[in-house]
Amino acid sequence: MLKLMWALEDSAFAQWVAGAPTVWAYPSILTFHTVGMGIVVGASAVLDLRLLGVGPEVPIARLRNIFRPLWFGFWLNAVTGVVLFIAHAAEKAFQEVFYVKLAFVALALVTVVRIRREMFPDDTTPDRPVTTKVKTLAILSLVLWAGAITAGRLMAYINLG
Amino acid sequence: MDPFYHWLETTSLSLWVNRETQWLWPTMETLHFIGLSLLVGVAGFFDCRLLGMLRGVPVSAVKKFMPWALVGFAINMTTGILFFISQPKVYAANAAWWPKVFFIVVAGLNAMFFETALGEKMLALPPDADTPLSFKIVGAVSLMSWFGVLYFGRMLAFFGTQFSGL
Repeated sequence: MLKLMWALEDSAFAQWVAGAPTVWAYPSILTFHTVGMGIVVGASAVLDLRLLGVGPEVPIARLRNIFRPLWFGFWLNAVTGVVLFIAHAAEKAFQEVFYVKLAFVALALVTVVRIRREMFPDDTTPDRPVTTKVKTLAILSLVLWAGAITAGRLMAYINLG
Repeated sequence: MDPFYHWLETTSLSLWVNRETQWLWPTMETLHFIGLSLLVGVAGFFDCRLLGMLRGVPVSAVKKFMPWALVGFAINMTTGILFFISQPKVYAANAAWWPKVFFIVVAGLNAMFFETALGEKMLALPPDADTPLSFKIVGAVSLMSWFGVLYFGRMLAFFGTQFSGL
């Protein structure tokens, strides 16, 4: 496993990302990762807030489009995340808090998908009632994203390198 | 400005942040990222409405979410001030700092402009109508300036110290 990680990190691409003295390499990729976070968590937060009763004049059915920016933010971060990982693969592969972060992200996405299935099962659903189950999912979603953000930040502090 | 920065460094708040760095700084950073996600999400949502998306939903209805953007902003203003006063000279000398401040000011003035000059128009706008150009400009300026804040905020770790950042 370590050999594979070193191989990734030694690749020309990884070396460019990690080491190129230009703002277009690591700094920009990290910035896009932050933007993606703002978008995926932000979109999820708006949906969760609405389900919890904020802005009641906004028909919930109209929020079905919020999944587009949500998935865009997620995929932006999946791609930039892979690139960031490769740049320091040997270190990140053994960083426990990194896997904690991935777990939080996975759980948050599962929660988002479950909310979608409950509230937007097909393209033409009129407003469905917000059950206690959905409200719980909304709160859970916020907590899980906060967990992902926390674990992500701690990656800069809890490591061996 | 130097005497002012020097004075900031001697305040008890500044000394506290510098003393408690091990847990406090990562905590403040985490809160700062959570705050920005809240701000970007809610304000971005409103800006999309201003740009004409989500037609049929009253702009004033979407605006009801805004207190939550302010919560995010308040979290970030608080943590941001603590960051700054802990090492004011370092921030002031960082090439990314003043652009970040500039974009925060632009975003704030833009929001105040909407509040004061376009508030009545917002209440009178029929939900099915397209948003007027003034709304679209405010929405676009908001999105661009918050992106600028985020970009230069992230770059603080890199501009100042030649890519040795986190």
